[in-house]
Amino acid sequence: MAEKQDVKQGTLALMILKTLEVLGPLHGYGVARRIEETSKNRLSLNYGTLYPALLKLEQEGFISAEWKQSENNRRAKFYSLTPAGRKQLAREAREWHQTADLIAAFLAPRTEAP
Amino acid sequence: MRILRSVREALARVRGLFGGDRPEADDDLREEMQAHLEMATNENIRRGMHPDAARRTALLASGGMTVAAEAVRAQRGLPWVESVLADIKYAFRTLRHSPAFTAVVVVTLALGIGANTAIFSVVRGVLLKPLPHRDGDRLVYLRHSIDGPGGASIAFSVPEVRDFRDGAKSLAGIAEFSSWSATLQSDDGASRLGVGLVTGNYFEVMGLTPVLGRLTRPSDDGPGVSPVVVLTHDYWMKRFAGDPAIVGKQLKLDGKSVTVIGVVQPAPFFPGRVNALLNMVNSEHHLSAMMVQGRSHRMTEIVARLAPGATLEQARTEIAAVSSRVQKEFSESYDPGSHHRIAVIPFHDVLGERAKMTLWLLMGAAAFVMIISAANVVNLTLMRGVRREHELVVRAALGAGVARLRRLLLVENLILTFIGGVFGVVIAIGGVRLLMSLAERYSPRANEIRLDGVVLGFALALSVALAMLLSFLATLPKEGSFASWISAGARRISGSLRKQRLQRSLVVAQIAVSVVLLAGAGLLTRTMIQLSNVSTGLKTEEVLTMEITLLTPAQLLAGRDAEAKERYDRMKRDVAALPGVIDVGLGSIMPLRSSSVRFEVKAEGKSVPVGEPMPRAEIRTVDPDYFRAAGISLVKGRPFAATDERGAGKVVIINQTFASKFFPNEDPVGKRIAWTGDVLRFTPFSGEWRTIVGVSANTQDGGLDAKPQLAVFMPFAQEVAISGGLVIRADSNVAGLTTAATRIVRRVAPAALIENVMTVSQIKDLSVAPRRLNAQLISLFSSLAVIIAAVGIAGVLAFSVSTRTNEIGIRMSLGAGRGQVQRMILREGSVLLVTGLVLGVVGAFFGARFIQGMLFDVAPRDPITLIGVAVMMAAIGLVACWIPALRAARIDPAITMRSA
Repeated sequence: MAEKQDVKQGTLALMILKTLEVLGPLHGYGVARRIEETSKNRLSLNYGTLYPALLKLEQEGFISAEWKQSENNRRAKFYSLTPAGRKQLAREAREWHQTADLIAAFLAPRTEAP
Repeated sequence: MRILRSVREALARVRGLFGGDRPEADDDLREEMQAHLEMATNENIRRGMHPDAARRTALLASGGMTVAAEAVRAQRGLPWVESVLADIKYAFRTLRHSPAFTAVVVVTLALGIGANTAIFSVVRGVLLKPLPHRDGDRLVYLRHSIDGPGGASIAFSVPEVRDFRDGAKSLAGIAEFSSWSATLQSDDGASRLGVGLVTGNYFEVMGLTPVLGRLTRPSDDGPGVSPVVVLTHDYWMKRFAGDPAIVGKQLKLDGKSVTVIGVVQPAPFFPGRVNALLNMVNSEHHLSAMMVQGRSHRMTEIVARLAPGATLEQARTEIAAVSSRVQKEFSESYDPGSHHRIAVIPFHDVLGERAKMTLWLLMGAAAFVMIISAANVVNLTLMRGVRREHELVVRAALGAGVARLRRLLLVENLILTFIGGVFGVVIAIGGVRLLMSLAERYSPRANEIRLDGVVLGFALALSVALAMLLSFLATLPKEGSFASWISAGARRISGSLRKQRLQRSLVVAQIAVSVVLLAGAGLLTRTMIQLSNVSTGLKTEEVLTMEITLLTPAQLLAGRDAEAKERYDRMKRDVAALPGVIDVGLGSIMPLRSSSVRFEVKAEGKSVPVGEPMPRAEIRTVDPDYFRAAGISLVKGRPFAATDERGAGKVVIINQTFASKFFPNEDPVGKRIAWTGDVLRFTPFSGEWRTIVGVSANTQDGGLDAKPQLAVFMPFAQEVAISGGLVIRADSNVAGLTTAATRIVRRVAPAALIENVMTVSQIKDLSVAPRRLNAQLISLFSSLAVIIAAVGIAGVLAFSVSTRTNEIGIRMSLGAGRGQVQRMILREGSVLLVTGLVLGVVGAFFGARFIQGMLFDVAPRDPITLIGVAVMMAAIGLVACWIPALRAARIDPAITMRSA
């Protein structure tokens, strides 16, 4: 079994928001599946990590939840992105790209003369 | 945005905490997770797993539903609030279960916090608080001093004030304040008012504002203006119950009508508390030529405001320069041997200078009590902590982390220290009342003492600091090491040795600090004993004195002196006729009271060596019966006689101090002395030669602790009666004569001001009252300290015995006798006791200089006191050790061995 990483809280929020943006309203299982698949199963997402994160996003007003019928006719709680969540996603994605660029530039092999 | 987001989350969480829908939300969550599980299981089946395996795999991936539910719940509400509430509930329950521990800790803390809060409120009110004056830190007080007795502060004359006004540019404004007293006549009799005569710029310079009406201004200066009075806030509240209609009313002061123009904001006045401030026109004297032009007629205090940008140093340099120039120019007014000098002192400092030493000493003593009680509480909690280790291990086993346990301890200790703090504040409220009367004697700012927010904050800070200390001293194992303790089946986790070393050091410290405090108390008590052995110079205490003011000085000088004397004589005759009265005397100043009237004096044929200050002597006028009535013996010569009347040859009686100063090896009787000095022209006393007819014994007029000063008695009949009073001697119970004597005085002079009706033993008492209160407070603190320290040493030994029960049991079963066991424990205690004693005596030895100024006739390192204190502490300490030692000796080896 490949070594699975625990996901960090801050990054998890971003992943959840992105997942909901791409796939539209989705239940917890769906979100977890999507994140695990996207990470090529490098991340494992147990309930104790996922559901508090969902609740926190809901409390912050970035996502909303409602009970609906799922594909196989089972009642499930569906989460969807709110307008505030959409903005937040854009902002956080931008910040992540900037940080990533910065770190990449830092870690790149240095070519200039000492 | 980020803030908004946090606020939204917080609101949702608070809703979660208090919302009633929690079971519902839990059901929701369970259903949601159940759905998740099912979907995961179905997915696994779809991929070809056996249904059982599919479900098991899904469950495994979930990471545990209960844990998840707990995590969501934590996100939903405010978990720390909930658990803190739980901790508080739990703490209260455990404290209730150990009432003895709780009571001892609370009482110890209450005493420590109470003492400190009370003293701190006084220190703050009197010494620390910024002045209420606008830019009060820019105010300076000028002090004029000369060498010799009574020369510490001789005030300034009006010409001198003018010198500074003209020459000191670093002072923006110079205000004059002249202490005066006035008699207020009202429907309910006469009363004495302490007043300050002030210049119109006084309030402007001081930066004070009115709470009612207006204050004096430059247009109130000079002759020809109407007399006005500004009431101080205290007096307005006390005498007129804060009557808002007081402005514009007339008061009858010294027989004149004076208009109240306003009430000034609460503020301290210097050199003393006053009831009212008057403009100069209220005193004819203050506008007279002698006052305005007399360079040596010094009656004015100076308070000034530093000019913007000017420093205290600049002001000092400038004032010194002006002063030395003036001294050269008017050399007749400045005796070079007296060394005239002027100090420029921040007003804030001068207000606190008398109180400073006493208050810091008391604050130090209170801090010591705090240290001892804190040490005791630390020890008690440490011991209790060891007994609770089992409980803590169990709690850790059930999943509580170190932080959680630490917090539980903190909550518990906070509750303890808060309860202690609340009781402490209650004690402080009572203590402040007691201390006020002490502070009033030392500081004009005593009425600024209160238990306000800052002081309560101080008590709170003390409590919290203590709670932190207690919680973080308790040793908890490092995170993650619990498991090993539990698996080892450990019931105890303490590094017992280290902890016991801490406890022992604390006990040693307690004993040492107690010894220091005891030494202080011992020295002050010995001072009181020495003082009570001082002879007053009076042969009896059955003497009643009463000061009676008939007329104002101005009226007396205006020729009504004879009328006043006639009335004094009538009072004297009538009082002498009362049953039980042996003698009645008349005098300007009562025995054991000091006179502020002092003049330079010379003796015929004697010259003062160059460089020595001119000797100054107190003036006292007495009638022929005064010495007999007061019980003052004449060591030489005769008392005054009826023939020493007005117009007869001027005669005087001098006291022994005077005699030994001027006539060390000769008989002064028959020699002649005279008043001298520039200032004499401003007084009703002439500078002619006066013949000495007698020498009186010294009396302790400046208080029991003061060296007797030079005094000259003149016949009451030959001089103006600037003041007067009756000295009444009875065969017994002289205090019982008060009512009858007062009635006679009232009948002869209905409007007279009668003051200080006191027996000489009361006067004597009064003169040592501040010292006694001081000694009592320090003694109180030290006995608290000793009691707490005794509890401390007994507690630590008892604890040591209880941890060594097994060892002792083994020793006894191997043949150790009860006596041996007892001695072993006593030895353990004695080591602590002796170490503490040695440290304490050394501390007292080096700390002695702090208390030196408060002692009388006792060396600060008085060996008798130090030895006595050490013996006393040792005795109390040994008793405290005995109790646990006895308990140790009573251990039954059979029982302890079985239970081990």
